[in-house]
Amino acid sequence: MSSHNESIIREPLITGNNITYAQITEDILRPVEKLPGRAWWIGFSVASMGATLWLFAVSYTFWYGIGSWGLNKTVGWAWDITGFVWWVGIGHAGTLISAILLLFRQKWRNSINRSAEAMTIFAVICAASYIVAHMGRPWMAVYSLPLPNQYGSLWVNFNSPLIWDVFAISTYFTVSLVFWYTGLLPDIATIRDRATGLRRKIYSFMSFGWTGSVKTWQRFETVSLILAGISTPLVLSVHSIVSMDFATSLEPGWHTTIFPPYFVAGAIFSGFAMVQTLLLIARKVLGLENYITMFHIEAMNKIIILTGSIVMVAYCTEFFIAYYSQVEYEQYAFINRYFGPYWWASWSMFCCNCIIPQVLWFKKVRTSIAATWFLSIIINIGMWFERFVIIVTSLHRDFLPSSWAMFYPTWIDVSVFVGSIGVFFTLFLLFLRVLPSIAIAEVKLLLKGSSEQEKKKILQSGHIDATQGAFYKDALTKFDAIDIAEYEKV
Amino acid sequence: MDSNKKYWKGLEELNKTPEFVEKNKHEFAEPIPVEEVLEGGSLFGKTPRRDFLKALGFGVGAVTLAACQKVPVHKSIPYLIKPEEVTPGVANYYSSSFDGHAILVKTREGRPIKVEGNPNDLLSKGGLGAQAQSSVLDLYDSNRLQNPKQDGAEVDWDSIDSFIKGELSAIKAGGKKIAIVTSTINSPSTLSVIADFIAAYPTAKHVTYDAVSYTGIIQANQNSFGKAVLPHYNFDNADVIVSFGADFLGTWISPTEFIGQYVKNRNNKSLQSKKMSRHIQFESGMSNTGSNADVRIPIKPSEEGIALINLYNAISGTTLPGSKKLDNLPAENAIAVAAAELKAAKGKALVVAGSNDVAVQTLVNSINSLLGSYGSTIDLDNASNQFAGNDAEFVALVSDMNNGAVDAVFFLDANPAYDYHNPNAIKAALKKVRLRVSFARNVEETAALCNIVAPNHYYLESWGDSNALAGYYTVVQPTINPVYNTRQAETSLLAWSNGTFKEYYAYVRDNWDKKLLALGGLTGLKGWETLLQTGYVKVADKTATAYTTNHDLTAAAQTILAHSAELAGGKVELQLYQSIALRDGKRANNPWLQELPDPVSKVTWENFAALSPVYAKSLGLEQGDVIKITANGYSIALPVLLQPGQAQGTISVAVGYGRTLAGPVGEGKGENAFPFNTFRNGAFIGTAVATIDKTGDQSELAQTQTHHSYEGRNSIIRETTFTEYKKNPYAASGHFDEHKTYSMWDEYDHPTFNWVMAIDLNACTGCGACVVACSAENNVPVVGKDEVRRRREMHWIRIDRYYSFNKGGDLITKESEISQLSDANMDNVSVVYQPMLCQHCDHAPCETVCPVLATVHSSEGLNHMAYNRCIGTRYCANNCPYKVRRFNWFNYWNDARFDNYLQGEHTQLVLNPDVVTRFRGVMEKCSMCIQRIQAGKLKAKMEKRSVKDGDIKVACQQTCPANAIVFGNVNDPNSEVAKALKSERTYYVLEELNTQPGVGYQVKVRNRTELEA
Repeated sequence: MSSHNESIIREPLITGNNITYAQITEDILRPVEKLPGRAWWIGFSVASMGATLWLFAVSYTFWYGIGSWGLNKTVGWAWDITGFVWWVGIGHAGTLISAILLLFRQKWRNSINRSAEAMTIFAVICAASYIVAHMGRPWMAVYSLPLPNQYGSLWVNFNSPLIWDVFAISTYFTVSLVFWYTGLLPDIATIRDRATGLRRKIYSFMSFGWTGSVKTWQRFETVSLILAGISTPLVLSVHSIVSMDFATSLEPGWHTTIFPPYFVAGAIFSGFAMVQTLLLIARKVLGLENYITMFHIEAMNKIIILTGSIVMVAYCTEFFIAYYSQVEYEQYAFINRYFGPYWWASWSMFCCNCIIPQVLWFKKVRTSIAATWFLSIIINIGMWFERFVIIVTSLHRDFLPSSWAMFYPTWIDVSVFVGSIGVFFTLFLLFLRVLPSIAIAEVKLLLKGSSEQEKKKILQSGHIDATQGAFYKDALTKFDAIDIAEYEKV
Repeated sequence: MDSNKKYWKGLEELNKTPEFVEKNKHEFAEPIPVEEVLEGGSLFGKTPRRDFLKALGFGVGAVTLAACQKVPVHKSIPYLIKPEEVTPGVANYYSSSFDGHAILVKTREGRPIKVEGNPNDLLSKGGLGAQAQSSVLDLYDSNRLQNPKQDGAEVDWDSIDSFIKGELSAIKAGGKKIAIVTSTINSPSTLSVIADFIAAYPTAKHVTYDAVSYTGIIQANQNSFGKAVLPHYNFDNADVIVSFGADFLGTWISPTEFIGQYVKNRNNKSLQSKKMSRHIQFESGMSNTGSNADVRIPIKPSEEGIALINLYNAISGTTLPGSKKLDNLPAENAIAVAAAELKAAKGKALVVAGSNDVAVQTLVNSINSLLGSYGSTIDLDNASNQFAGNDAEFVALVSDMNNGAVDAVFFLDANPAYDYHNPNAIKAALKKVRLRVSFARNVEETAALCNIVAPNHYYLESWGDSNALAGYYTVVQPTINPVYNTRQAETSLLAWSNGTFKEYYAYVRDNWDKKLLALGGLTGLKGWETLLQTGYVKVADKTATAYTTNHDLTAAAQTILAHSAELAGGKVELQLYQSIALRDGKRANNPWLQELPDPVSKVTWENFAALSPVYAKSLGLEQGDVIKITANGYSIALPVLLQPGQAQGTISVAVGYGRTLAGPVGEGKGENAFPFNTFRNGAFIGTAVATIDKTGDQSELAQTQTHHSYEGRNSIIRETTFTEYKKNPYAASGHFDEHKTYSMWDEYDHPTFNWVMAIDLNACTGCGACVVACSAENNVPVVGKDEVRRRREMHWIRIDRYYSFNKGGDLITKESEISQLSDANMDNVSVVYQPMLCQHCDHAPCETVCPVLATVHSSEGLNHMAYNRCIGTRYCANNCPYKVRRFNWFNYWNDARFDNYLQGEHTQLVLNPDVVTRFRGVMEKCSMCIQRIQAGKLKAKMEKRSVKDGDIKVACQQTCPANAIVFGNVNDPNSEVAKALKSERTYYVLEELNTQPGVGYQVKVRNRTELEA
């Protein structure tokens, strides 16, 4: 990879001076090999309290019944499916980064794919927990699997989008897990090689006997590519199928053909927001500024503004189609959505997802860590509201006005959701402690071609076009980890 | 066959080699290493792989066998010798009667589980109201007394008897009065028992005290015609009905009967012969009857009397002294219209008033006399015995008690400590009475003040009879052995009066043998047995004669005007009414009734202060604000309900709530409004001048419907006027715009049966009997006030009620437009009721989305629900456009938080064993009473015939007093349902979704001219 020089006008993907392969290993494995710091412990305590809350709230639900949630005969889904779709959506960024960006040879993904994939897996775990938790009889969840049984030919209902969901989510989880773990193998082997005692045994087992031979690497590359190929359709299919839970129904406000692409865009939108939320903190706390650079942050912000705008167009399209269709129920559903009793939810959604993210058109905002983090939170909130609005405002006033009702969450509803965030962060923080949060092997690939120090050498060699050099230097100004003063003399 | 062929399995056997012989000595070819295993050393020795597997296999097998312990056996049918008449699994039906209605009581394995109308019942022709439907539950009320009580301690009957007899003889010697206070009794045998008692104790007097009485009508008939009777009204003979506050379809005298009569002139049959009665209602609060009226005019209680005077003037052409115009212009106009229509329909007109004021009723009598109603729509010759309360007598008794003139008082089905207008007076008066005996079944408010409580049998445990209408005698027979150590009140009275009869059964037999059987042409034991099967005897009606009256109305008019002036003098006029569910509150401990939504307000579990939205706004009140209502020196705090159609400046409050000693279900639900009654002109009057104050508190009403207009969605509700209908019967049902439909799905075959339903919106009065009947039939759980507030009531059938407002002939149904209406238009409310239940769609949206095929379509057109398969994703309920699916949020049948309702010690005995109760986490919904369909098919099969139309009746259809629901097989073109669905008025709700519902609705028709509409 490093046999030729990369164009100088491309921004560096690794910053910092004196970065060596060893240095990369050291930097990335520091959280894994050293005792955790105070920040980690605080985070972990809070997260595990959240996880405990989740455990309690879910147990309470299982013990007493779904009635402990605020649902009623009109609104049969609310925070549960909102949470489910929200988590599934968040997962999508990880898959997009790991699979699609790999196929498109976007090398910048190498620094963020590991964490993003971990996020995907944990998010899907949270989503799957909602699938089981929202069932009236979760102990009968096995009925949703097409297993041979003694009831003659009693099969699942292949017409039901919920069954498609079961397939979609289980496939998604399996493929994501395999892809993620395969990518981890050389890095686990690295940990193994540096570890001693029991740690060495454990990592040795987990590394599946990675030898680092040329053949191993070749197979590794092939498998990664194949898995990327398998994962790629999932980015589009999983959330399309989730959207069909709604789109194939009769409910006004759900029965919409725009849902699959709109949901996929929304999923990527929210997923990248979540990646930002996590990595902006992780890079600071774990000292990974040289690997997750401002270039990454800005690139993700660009995806966010793109997908966010798609979502906005979708909102407007829905509204227009409701008017254009002349279906009174559809029209009422959309007017009620924005001007009915849940107007505040819909306008929160619209502001958080459509209006506020428009500031990302400004480079200053895109390259501001504080602003990005703030926006990522806003988008996460907005996307939660989007699902809440779609589910609750459609259900609470559908065809027969006699059945119109309001939904009020109970403290159990809130606890299950807040708790699921706790579960997510508990898993994520544990992940940071035991596995490398950045793909070491993949980042090393970038060192010879795309790192700041290499480019600096080229710049110093003087064999480049002056305007290109100036352009490059100009681009560097946004990097928070680069001391631009160093470039004044070159 | 002899054969010496020998078969060998191998050469070794043929040759009998020594190894073979050695091996064959043992059962197993290889020795089992039992010893080796059992030896201690083997535990530490190396076990061969095979032995390990054997040991494992044996171990697992043994553990499995050991685990297969027998499940404890519950002997649910403990008959050693089967009683001849009881076959497990087969229901027995017994004729009996409830409130004078002939009924059939369904019993299973010896326990009554359902009350059904006797199809030959004179009053309601097989229909039954919610009260009767729910009555079966009270039998198992665990709050009932299990033993008689003396001064709060449980005693046996002998000591009660000796104590009371001793007391009575002492009292007899003392010569002071004895009073038997009962609510109306129309049982000939009971009346005879009381007469015997009075004969034994000559100072005794029978005082009839009804919580809600009709003294006014009875007295007025005495004034006008010299006949102190409650007449029998024939609404079916009336072409024009004008009602002043009489809720005759809901609570007035005999509503279940009146619904049938009323609907006769408004149902499909009547409409097809281009005939429809006209009904104008003047009233303050929106009653069930008012909500069904063609024209409804809100008037204040103070305006009612004046309106009647003006109607009289308009019809008679005279002017009563003191007459004045009403300030209420719409009412004044409506009176002119009503007068003209009544006159035009002379002989086929009827005016009724709900007031208990003798003066008002005397005036109404004169109006009806002018209209020639007597002998046609009102029958004084075959009077009703349903109410005979004499308010003045009871008031006199209370003052006698206070004066110490009464030494003994007996209360039978009377609870004045709760429902008397001055409960404190009763409490004070009872302290001065030496012997106080209550026959109450539980320690209620009055029984708590008595020294003896001699608990009566429930009617399902009793012998008896009743005589609701002149010439109509029904029998009451027990359907179960007494559940507790109770004794029938009549038996007690017989015992205490030292009569010849010890058992009331013998007394009833004797009474019927001597007097009543002969009336039905029956004699002796055979006749009695026939009676027990038919349930009633009917003497041919006397010919109703046309009474007229020339009673001078000057005095009546003065009384009315004086009362009106008094009412109008205050700020707010208060009107009391009975709620459809609880009526006078005697059954307040019945959870089915408490959870039955009020037809109009859709409120459950409590009473409320109904105010018109316009008036409430002027007072700065919103729904749910708790206000303090004060009148006649009594005050209660109730939440506000915004009731469109409520007259401005008035407030309506239901009586029957606020019981303090009713049992865990009824206590503390709402507030007692009876003390607002006043005693005027010899009768209790339910109107008063009130003041209201905000308390600042908020209390959310438990309403089952919170959006009240149908938003112009005429694929849900279709209505028309009678004029339009006559022009084009198809106009409103939308049959003219038939269009081609396309379907994604394969059509289902319904080779034999296709069970469907037709519901006539013009017949349905919204009474809610079907809701209770369905709950009883299908073991639908009661969920309580909090769960209803969370919108989780479980009723499989509900009655949607929509308001619309008339604005210059336009029907305003959209919320956004309603909020723009002027105050005057807000008074102009129309109501439509729509029973809503699972539509059993042929293209059911619920079926396609269920992930586990728990809800599927049957070959008989039904949408099935397999509870055992359901995992509770609730997707089906979300996707149901009719929102008729009900989810078991909690384990309502076995969760301590709901144990007040149907989990009592004996309450679960009321469950229908043909229907399972549902566990938490599963969906349920109307099954079209599939157990009844199955039973009907099996019965036909055993009788080797095919199912006939009418063999199978679903519970809601069976109880509907209006016959608004028709169920049957549409594959049979001659079935009633097939004919009903062919009506020009038939439409399907949300037809355009192409869900192909199995329930067809028939357009609501209002008999209104275009101008009024």
